[in-house]
Amino acid sequence: MKEKKEENKEKIGIGAWVALIVLILVLSGAFRTVDGPLKVLDFTNLSGSFGQIGDTGANLIGSGGTGAKDGFMAGFNLIPAVMFFCGLLGVFEQLGAFKASDILFRPLLRPLMGIPGKCGIAFISSFTGSDVAAVMTRELYEDGDITDDERTIFVAYQYAGSACINNTITGGAPLVAICPVALGPCIVIMFVCKLIGANIVRLILHAKRNKA
Amino acid sequence: MSAEVQTAAAAKPAAAKKPSIVDTFLKGCAKGFKVGIENITPAMILGYVLVYILQETGLMDLLGTIMSPVMGLFGLPGEAFAVLISAFFAKASGCATAASMYQAGTLTLGQASMMLPACILMGTLIGHYARIVLVTDSNKKWHPLLIGICLLDAAISLVIMRIILAAMGVQ
Repeated sequence: MKEKKEENKEKIGIGAWVALIVLILVLSGAFRTVDGPLKVLDFTNLSGSFGQIGDTGANLIGSGGTGAKDGFMAGFNLIPAVMFFCGLLGVFEQLGAFKASDILFRPLLRPLMGIPGKCGIAFISSFTGSDVAAVMTRELYEDGDITDDERTIFVAYQYAGSACINNTITGGAPLVAICPVALGPCIVIMFVCKLIGANIVRLILHAKRNKA
Repeated sequence: MSAEVQTAAAAKPAAAKKPSIVDTFLKGCAKGFKVGIENITPAMILGYVLVYILQETGLMDLLGTIMSPVMGLFGLPGEAFAVLISAFFAKASGCATAASMYQAGTLTLGQASMMLPACILMGTLIGHYARIVLVTDSNKKWHPLLIGICLLDAAISLVIMRIILAAMGVQ
């Protein structure tokens, strides 16, 4: 019991909230074009850039390549930012940023998607991984915590984009590198679209239930 | 003595549970490197070779003509359909195809960037059908709807991104 209390205490520690705020700021792109020391609070700035070779205007990736060789160089170009992001995410997770976001989102799940707050951990983990969330969703149903319809709504949310943060950083890397819209806003757009999709399913299931 | 050993033994797993921030960061970076080599770079090679084949065989122009009425709804050229098709099978190759088309001048910066959320939202739908829809054991009756919703989400994201990029003045 005491252990449980301590765990709860750790969950809402101020450090976790600060970590969450910093993580959101770093991904938001808010400080991308700021002058001065605050610009270190931006993922793109922290990822940096390759130096130019001579005064050719091209970096080591070069320009005008084609086919597999050019594809390899383009992939190579993305690896440093992906490595950095994975490191960063691990640190923020350890600092409790995910636990804080769980507390933040838990009361919002019912109004957002019509699913109970018990889905909170699965919901948060679905941002960064699809498998854990999927298994948890199945267990939530088997334990009687969610109904069949609630599961369908939740799956509609999870399925589109699956682990949207990690997939955007890894799979989306070639476009993230050039996209003028920062990573954070892109993830928010996906989140909104996922919610719209889940709510369409919610409406369809609701209409069907009323009919029956 | 035995108590001391016990304490040390008990402390060990506790310490192993919580690695230092630096260790966590380094471990994460190493994981990122693995993802880069095993997932991203292969997808980039696939995407770039695909675009090369489409261009050199003239299939790109054909695709552009056939799909231009549909893609035109989102302010995209018909060729952009190749991006969505490859994203359907793998998110990464969809994004790589878009980036490669931007490099080749087929898509503008705005058009390529616009497709980022869409490639993720409707990406890897077959692979994730198994990993998410089947694993959650959700009601089979609604499976076609779930796939359709992903495509709809992607279409909505194209509209939202188009508005945002237009507001930012990106062509």
